[in-house]
Amino acid sequence: MSSPLLTPAVDEQLDLQAAPAVPWELVVWDDPVNLMSYVVRVFRTYFGYPKDRATRLMLSVHNDGHAVVATGPRETMEVHAQAMHDYGLWATVRRAGE
Amino acid sequence: MAGSGIHLPLQSIEAQQLGELVEQFLDLLRDTEIGEDAALNRLTPAVYPEDADASAEFADATSADLLDRRAADARVVRAGLGALGEDSDRPVEELVLAASEVDAWMRTLAALRLVIASRLGIQDEPSPDPDDPRLGVYDWLGYRLDLLVEAADELDGV
Repeated sequence: MSSPLLTPAVDEQLDLQAAPAVPWELVVWDDPVNLMSYVVRVFRTYFGYPKDRATRLMLSVHNDGHAVVATGPRETMEVHAQAMHDYGLWATVRRAGE
Repeated sequence: MAGSGIHLPLQSIEAQQLGELVEQFLDLLRDTEIGEDAALNRLTPAVYPEDADASAEFADATSADLLDRRAADARVVRAGLGALGEDSDRPVEELVLAASEVDAWMRTLAALRLVIASRLGIQDEPSPDPDDPRLGVYDWLGYRLDLLVEAADELDGV
């Protein structure tokens, strides 16, 4: 391996907090308005979940009041939240484990 | 596939009523400031319920676009209804939705239900007056949305 002849002019601060990728969660909350069949379809078509998984998630939302429907980087969860809001679902984002 | 898309029979009076609701919804989206209306608040939920600053920042960056997409969906529905015959003597029309239009229709029917639910106080106690005519519209939208979901799932082979 060769050494660089010049020190690169990189002035980047290492963000130690960001180093371990802490996952974020997309949470969908129960509401009395959205139809069960519709919520299953949204989970199935938007996330590509098989129908049985989509149905289980919908039932968790319905019975437990909320369910984590996706996990991943914060930015991705924010994109998902906007999509859920487009469908009229009540979705929020939180750090995993909160 | 021949006749692909979704064929939905719709009575003329239903089409007319839905058209009026969609116009009112477009007016609401156009004329109302975010934060001033409970129904619009429901359509743009706080994404970080325990962090008001982060939620506000997110809303500032995204809510206007979200409501623009709502309006675009509603215009798809309006265009579909407009494509029905002008012949109001026909009691039953057949609505044909392309697969690409189905999501806009479902999102709009769901949004109309959320708006009516907010106006009626569906989530509140005591429950709304069972004689309130808006409750009938709300139930009818739910019935229509459920049929549409069923037809769309069938089209997907699910």
